[in-house]
Amino acid sequence: MHTALFGYLPTGASANSTQETNRQMRKRPIPLEAEITRLVGHRFPGGSYTVAHWENFLLTQCTGAELLCDGQVHPVALFHLPITGAGTSIAEMFELGQAESDLSIMIESYDWEMFLPLQEDTCYSVSGGINGAQRCTNPEGKLYDRIVFCFEVHTPENILAARTTITWHYTRDTL
Amino acid sequence: MSLAVGDFIPEWVMESVTPERMCTMAAILRDPNPIHWDRDAVDALPLGLGKRTINQGPLGLSYIINMLHAWAGPNALRRIVMRFPQVVLDQERVVAKGNISALREEHGITLADCTVWLEHAERGVLLEGIATVVFPPPKMPELESNFETAALKEHE
Repeated sequence: MHTALFGYLPTGASANSTQETNRQMRKRPIPLEAEITRLVGHRFPGGSYTVAHWENFLLTQCTGAELLCDGQVHPVALFHLPITGAGTSIAEMFELGQAESDLSIMIESYDWEMFLPLQEDTCYSVSGGINGAQRCTNPEGKLYDRIVFCFEVHTPENILAARTTITWHYTRDTL
Repeated sequence: MSLAVGDFIPEWVMESVTPERMCTMAAILRDPNPIHWDRDAVDALPLGLGKRTINQGPLGLSYIINMLHAWAGPNALRRIVMRFPQVVLDQERVVAKGNISALREEHGITLADCTVWLEHAERGVLLEGIATVVFPPPKMPELESNFETAALKEHE
């Protein structure tokens, strides 16, 4: 399995050389493995999300692209639209996995499936939850918890518009 | 447009990843992680990155999407899966690149599977993944029937 963490470390920044700093930065104990694995099946409350024009404008500008035609939303919205629409937040997702700190989260992957283009001022209903949660060890023997969040975005006509999967690593005693 | 496996996708360049855009993005995403907006927080990490903020993953991914939009049109992207082997830092110049790895038919639609990546001149590949693009890109009136059919099949 790909480990984002080691890609994160630039050449010359070994884990061993930073152990003292790591200890100082640790903010909470490592959760029990059972506390992580029982997250599978957790469902967010669900809800809806509407991307306003101003939001699409700013999002698109952040990507360096021109605004898309006819009120089409830039797909970059497929990160926060599902999270917020499902009734959760990045902060809550960090907390569910008992992240040591905001800095300890590493991305494994984002998987965005698009079945319909998203449109501004359209109220999408969103559902989501945790599909996977497991304790892992990286090649250097460091523990991390791998949590997989999955969301579905439906149009007002209840057609599946998008599905997103976020896989994060909750590193333990590393940063 | 004629397509063949191995064809390269025209590159898309982000001349400079700016901290201001990361700040705007963090506010919209309600992302509490200070690595995106606090250079001192990044400097304090034992990673040797210095006082430079780290770009949000979705923003790096969006550069790949911009490349695919410019190539195939804004309605053609069906799926993108990205991994993040290295961070993208503020002030970096990064280039989105890709090529066609396979061509196939599905539900009467031609799909191009593409290998895509984001590259830095010195640090190499920062993001890598695969994308699936519909060809020919559907026009807006065609979207409902084509995509709805695909979406319903996905739902079944």
